[in-house]
Amino acid sequence: MSGHEAVAGEAPDKPRGPGAPGSAGMSLVCGDVSFSYEEARAPIPALRDVSFELRAGGSLALMGASGSGKSTLLQVIRGLDAPERGAVRLDGADPADAGYAALQREVGLVFQAPELQLFAATARDDVAFGPRRLGWPEAQVTAAVDAALDVVGLPPARFAERHPYALSGGEQRRLALAGVLAMRPRLLLLDEPFVSLDPGTRRHLVDILERLKAAGVTLLLATHDVDLAWALCDELLVLGEGRVVAAGPWDFSTAGGRLLAANRLREPFIVELWRRLGCDPQHAPRTAAQAAEALS
Amino acid sequence: MKATIAQYYAGDSLLHRLDPRAKFVAVSALAVALFVRDSFAGLTVYAAAAVLAYALSGVPFAWFWRAFRPLLWLVALTFAAQVVFAPGAPFFSLWFIHVSWRGLELATYLSLRLVVLVLVGSILTLTTPSIALTDGVAWLGRPLRRLRVPTDELALMVTIALRFIPTLFVELDTIMRAQRARGADFRRGGLRERTRSLVPVLVPLFVLSFRRADELALAMEARCYRPGALRTRLHPLCAHWSDVVLLVATAAVIAAGLLV
Amino acid sequence: MSPSPDETAPLFDISGLHYRYAGAQADALADLDLEVHEGEFVAVVGANGSGKSTLARLLGGLDKPAAARRALACGHDLLSEAGRLAARRDVGVLFQNPENQLVAQCVEDDVAFGLENLAWPAADIGRRVDEMLARFGLEELRRREPHMLSGGQKQRTALAGVIAIPRRVLVLDEPTALLDPAGREEVLAAVRELRGDGLAIVFITQEMDETVGADRLVALERGTEAYAGDAGGLFADAALVRRLGLGLPAAGELALALAKQGRDLPGLPLTMDELLEVLGGAT
Repeated sequence: MSGHEAVAGEAPDKPRGPGAPGSAGMSLVCGDVSFSYEEARAPIPALRDVSFELRAGGSLALMGASGSGKSTLLQVIRGLDAPERGAVRLDGADPADAGYAALQREVGLVFQAPELQLFAATARDDVAFGPRRLGWPEAQVTAAVDAALDVVGLPPARFAERHPYALSGGEQRRLALAGVLAMRPRLLLLDEPFVSLDPGTRRHLVDILERLKAAGVTLLLATHDVDLAWALCDELLVLGEGRVVAAGPWDFSTAGGRLLAANRLREPFIVELWRRLGCDPQHAPRTAAQAAEALS
Repeated sequence: MKATIAQYYAGDSLLHRLDPRAKFVAVSALAVALFVRDSFAGLTVYAAAAVLAYALSGVPFAWFWRAFRPLLWLVALTFAAQVVFAPGAPFFSLWFIHVSWRGLELATYLSLRLVVLVLVGSILTLTTPSIALTDGVAWLGRPLRRLRVPTDELALMVTIALRFIPTLFVELDTIMRAQRARGADFRRGGLRERTRSLVPVLVPLFVLSFRRADELALAMEARCYRPGALRTRLHPLCAHWSDVVLLVATAAVIAAGLLV
Repeated sequence: MSPSPDETAPLFDISGLHYRYAGAQADALADLDLEVHEGEFVAVVGANGSGKSTLARLLGGLDKPAAARRALACGHDLLSEAGRLAARRDVGVLFQNPENQLVAQCVEDDVAFGLENLAWPAADIGRRVDEMLARFGLEELRRREPHMLSGGQKQRTALAGVIAIPRRVLVLDEPTALLDPAGREEVLAAVRELRGDGLAIVFITQEMDETVGADRLVALERGTEAYAGDAGGLFADAALVRRLGLGLPAAGELALALAKQGRDLPGLPLTMDELLEVLGGAT
């Protein structure tokens, strides 16, 4: 991981450095992916013919109602479940190709409420779990752990030896994220990372994800927060009952607006504001800070 | 993963409407009677009674089979063990396995007993919601309160534990998946490695459960729960003459089995 | 809901409330005053660590205050054990995690739990449970098991179970924090209905947009009161709002960002319309 240069004058627990986990991001192509859950009476189709593309270094917001298949899709992409039909291609490689398993290990998946998985006696040990499982030499593990802790704003000097359960809720969430980042994923999948976060940690997390994006990591973010999706992601993928109902760049034309409404998604606040101020909603800024600048 | 522990089949048969206390006493008495006497005729009487009870329960065979089938392995294993290790002059020997008529006889008795026991036990849990069964057993255990045994509190504990079993299965699955996403492999290696690999799964589950216990206790107190206080029930236990009939019929069956 | 015998006595009459966790460096609550009257909807806001959840537990008689000049909940003295037990009858508390509030194996039984604890006769329990299920739209889910419910359904079930015991005041501790937008809306709608019935409510939250329409607002900061008054007064002080670390609706966030740019706005807008008004005026 490229170094963590100390930035003079910054508050000690803000994320530092670009924290780039590895080289350029991974590209992702899903082709007709279908998956069903085995249930006692009849299999429940969770994903039906899901197809979309995400270029290396891109950012995609995965949206849809509860039960629409978002979590399932993320887990299939990571390889925890194999699709019944169709395929997940990572960097152009098919599941049958030789290097596929290695590519899967470069896909990071952060579950909902990931702090529920913390188990080790120290923060360092917990974050080291993933890298150790990858079989890295201990020196490399230590370097990865330190870098990951820095990226999430938990400097090793202060936090590495702390007990995970002694941390606050927001710190635990960031620690769990560090556990995934330490494995240097080139494609990062996040399942509702902002739920139940206090406002401060939420802002912090947006910061962290923006830096990862800037470092070239491909981002796939499942969220129900349309404003955060707008702030972080170039493109949108909407699922409805396991099927793709919309895919591609954000579209705020009349047709696009109708599609959003049909899926119970409102326009991002800033987009609506731009529209009501008489400006082109398609070119609305992404964040409040950017909007404030534009309005000044 | 679907938990089929205490799986209740919602129905409206004669057996469903009987008081859980009467059913529990009947099953317990029958369970004891099964082991009193080594008699094929007697066991046949009990088996027939059990089959009749199943017929009266109205539970579809598929449901019953789902609960019953896993235990058939146990029965088969017990049969084999009994045959191999029973005393008696062998009429057939292979290696260290000596099969005697006496052995086969004992094995048959034991297996038949187990089958009837499981059959009757399954009918009990299939026709009685676990909360009613727990209440019934707690009521029967009332005398133990004099010995300072907290029967009502224990009954509530069982009910709460049962309520959280499906939830825990889901949480266990989620935690396992999350750790798998970090590279954990629960199938690899020998016994020691596999046991160690469960730590990242069991520790979070324990922590989650302790936290849950704290929060749940608070929520219960907020709804005026007090251990030891008198509690009424939304669905109170109410015995009818049909329950007396059940007890009398069970006594008759037991007598028949002992005298045949 | 029977009217209180003395309409003028506050439901919560708290003065100088202190609480500290064992082994903690600082007070969780320090010298806090709170008064809540019949029919009031009081929003209590504060960031993590401000003492909100501690307050909820103390108000419900679920924990013993370390000290207080006066701590009366519906006339019961929270400093005495008997008082706390009595307070649990009149003060309903709904917590954040819906999963960890459901005790029974089906919705109906869970709603009945509180009344069973109060030893109500079975027939009365049955009637009240039916009433609650109808009220909160849970009739179809009557025999459903908790693990088959959505987050919003679980929280509504928990709420029905809390209100099944007739209460004089309800305390809600961040009830929507763990819910998705649909669930959040379900629970907020249920709370609005209860408010419409005239039940006094203390609504604890981190999100400012959930305080809309509150009669009064109390803001906590590290266990003490940082603000008490009407909602508008707090929004007028952008610096204080930022310091409190609360979750603002998008309009508020943008206004704060504008303030950072040196563009001062009169007061903090909460809605798009308010923001447009303020922007239009300030150009």
